[in-house]
Amino acid sequence: MTAIQIDDLSKLFGDVVAVDGLSLTVEEGEIFGFLGPNGAGKSTTIDILLDFIRPTSGSVTVLGHDAQREGLAVRRRTGVLPDAYHVYDRLTGRQHLEFAIEAKGGDEVPIALLDRVGIADAADRRAGGYSKGMRQRLVMAIALIGDPDLLILDEPSTGLDPNGAREMREIIRRENERGTTVFFSSHVMEQVEAVCDRVAIINRGQLVAVDTIQGLRDATEAGETLYIDAERLDEEIVIQIQKIDGVSGATIDEDRIRVVVGDRSKFRVLETIDDTVVPIQDFSVVTSSLGDLFTHYTTEEQEVRA
Amino acid sequence: MRAITVAKKDFRDAVQSRALWGLVAVFVLLLLLTTYAYTQVPELFGPTPEATFGGLIFFTVGITSLFVPLAALVVCYKSVAGERELGSIKILLSLPLTRSDAFFGKFVGRTGVLAFGLGIGLLAGLGIGSVLLGTVDPIALFGFLLLTLTFAAVYSGVMVSLSALTGSTTRATTLAIGFFIVFELLWDAVPVAVVYVIEGFSLPTTFPDWVFLVTQVSPSTAYLTSLIALLPDVAAAQGATVGGGVDVDPTAVEPFYVTPEVGLVFLALWLAIPLLVGYYRFTTSDL
Repeated sequence: MTAIQIDDLSKLFGDVVAVDGLSLTVEEGEIFGFLGPNGAGKSTTIDILLDFIRPTSGSVTVLGHDAQREGLAVRRRTGVLPDAYHVYDRLTGRQHLEFAIEAKGGDEVPIALLDRVGIADAADRRAGGYSKGMRQRLVMAIALIGDPDLLILDEPSTGLDPNGAREMREIIRRENERGTTVFFSSHVMEQVEAVCDRVAIINRGQLVAVDTIQGLRDATEAGETLYIDAERLDEEIVIQIQKIDGVSGATIDEDRIRVVVGDRSKFRVLETIDDTVVPIQDFSVVTSSLGDLFTHYTTEEQEVRA
Repeated sequence: MRAITVAKKDFRDAVQSRALWGLVAVFVLLLLLTTYAYTQVPELFGPTPEATFGGLIFFTVGITSLFVPLAALVVCYKSVAGERELGSIKILLSLPLTRSDAFFGKFVGRTGVLAFGLGIGLLAGLGIGSVLLGTVDPIALFGFLLLTLTFAAVYSGVMVSLSALTGSTTRATTLAIGFFIVFELLWDAVPVAVVYVIEGFSLPTTFPDWVFLVTQVSPSTAYLTSLIALLPDVAAAQGATVGGGVDVDPTAVEPFYVTPEVGLVFLALWLAIPLLVGYYRFTTSDL
C-alpha cells in the first residue's frame, strides 16, 4: 500500500513554475526524505499534499484519498509540521493542544504530549514568548495527536540546536517503529542521512533522483574513497591499481593515491595493493556525505539544463 | 460542530485584543456620561421633557451604531488575512478542519468577542441608566439587544469576509477602512449626489421615494430603521422616523417599500451576501 502517490504534478504561480511534472511514490511504513535546495518546490509540493494550494495539473493521493477532494479524510490520519507556520501568540501551549485535540477528536492529555516533546514546563505560558525551538516542539506535539498513520514534516529541524535536532530524529524513529510513515523535507543532509530509508532529490520543481542513500552513492560512483600514503608515487603505480579487481578509479591527489572502491571489500583492495603493487604506509577512508551527493545532483542538473 | 471548535479557539485568542478593550472602555465611558446627561436634562436630547427608558434606548442606539462598526473593524480586519500572512492558518488547516469550518468558525468566534464587549458596555450603560431612571421597559430592552447583536453579527460577517478576500493584512486593512468610510461616513451624501445627477445637476425641493432605499444601503442606517420597525410605539413616542438623514415626507402617499421593515431586509442582505462571497473566495484560493 502506498502512503503518498504523486502523479505528474505541476504548479504554476503566474508564469513561475514551482513544481514541474513531479511523480513520486512513498510506501507505507518508510521514512522518506524529500531533499532540495531552497526554492526547489519542496514546500509547494507539501502544501498541495495538505490542500493549502491547488495543483495546476496532475493528481495527488494521500493514504488512499484524493488530497484535493478528500482533504478532511487525509488530515484525520496525518500529523503535520508545516513550513513557515506561526503559533497563536496569545494562547498558551496547553490551549493550543486543547484546541487541536478537540479538532482531531483525540483523547490525549495536553500535558502528556507536551512532555513527550520536552516543553511540559512551559505549558501555561503564552506561545508568543516561546523560542523558535519550543514552537517547533509545540507544533510537533500537535502533529502527534491521535497517533497518525502519516507524519508530514516540512523542515523539522529548523530552529533546533543539535541536541533538539537529535531529539527530533528520535521522535521520528520512535513514531516510525510504531508503524507511522514519515515524509519529511529538509536541506539539512545529516538529518536525512541519519534517519531516511529512501530519499528523493528535487531541483527546480523536477525530480532528479529517488533511491536509498546507498543506492544514490552507488549511482554516483561517489561511494567510499580510500586515500593511501605509499612508499613511492608514480603514474605506473596508479595504472596498476586501476587494474585491481574492485577498484573503479584511482588518481593521484596531493601526494596521496585516491582510490574509489566499488563492490569489493576495502580491506581486500588494500591488501592487494600492499602485496602486489606498492607497500602502504598509511591510509584513510572517506565516506562521501549525502551533502556531496546532493551538491552533485543539483549542480549537475543545473548544468545540463543551462 | 468543527466550526464551533474553531470559534472557541478564536474567541479565546481574539478576546485578548487590547484594542478591543480600549474601545469598550471608551464606549462605556461615553455611555455613562451621556446617560447621566440624558437623565438630568432630557429636553436637550429628546422631544419629551421627561426622561424615559425608550428615550434612553433611542439615544444609546446612536452610540452603538458607531461603536459596533468600529469594534468590528478592530476585532475582525485581520481575522483571516492575518492568519494567512503569519502562517498560523497552516496549523489550523493541518488539522482535520475544512476551509468552511475555519471561515465560519472565525465568523462565529469574532461575533462572540464583539457580543461580549458590547454586552459588557451595554450592561454598564443601560444598567446605570435604568437605575437613574428608576424604570425598565423589558420589551424595548429585549428588542434593542436582539437587534444590536444582529447588527454586530452583520458587521462581523462583513469584516471577516473582507479579511478573507486577501492574504495581505495591508490590503485587508484598506478594505476594512474603505468599507467603513464609504458605507458609514460618506453614504449620507450618496443619495443626494445620485439625485443631483439624475435631476440634471440641480437639487429638487422634494426627494423621490426611491432615495429611501439608497439610504438604507448603509448598514448602520438599516440598523436604526430596523429599530423603528421592531419598536414602533417607542419610536413614535420619540418622534423617530425613517429617512436616514434625507427628508422623506411622512404625510405623503408612499410606495410600499417606504417602511421601516426595509431596514431588516437590508440587514439580512448584509449578513448573507458578504459571507457567501468571502467563503467562496477563501475556499478557492491558494493559501
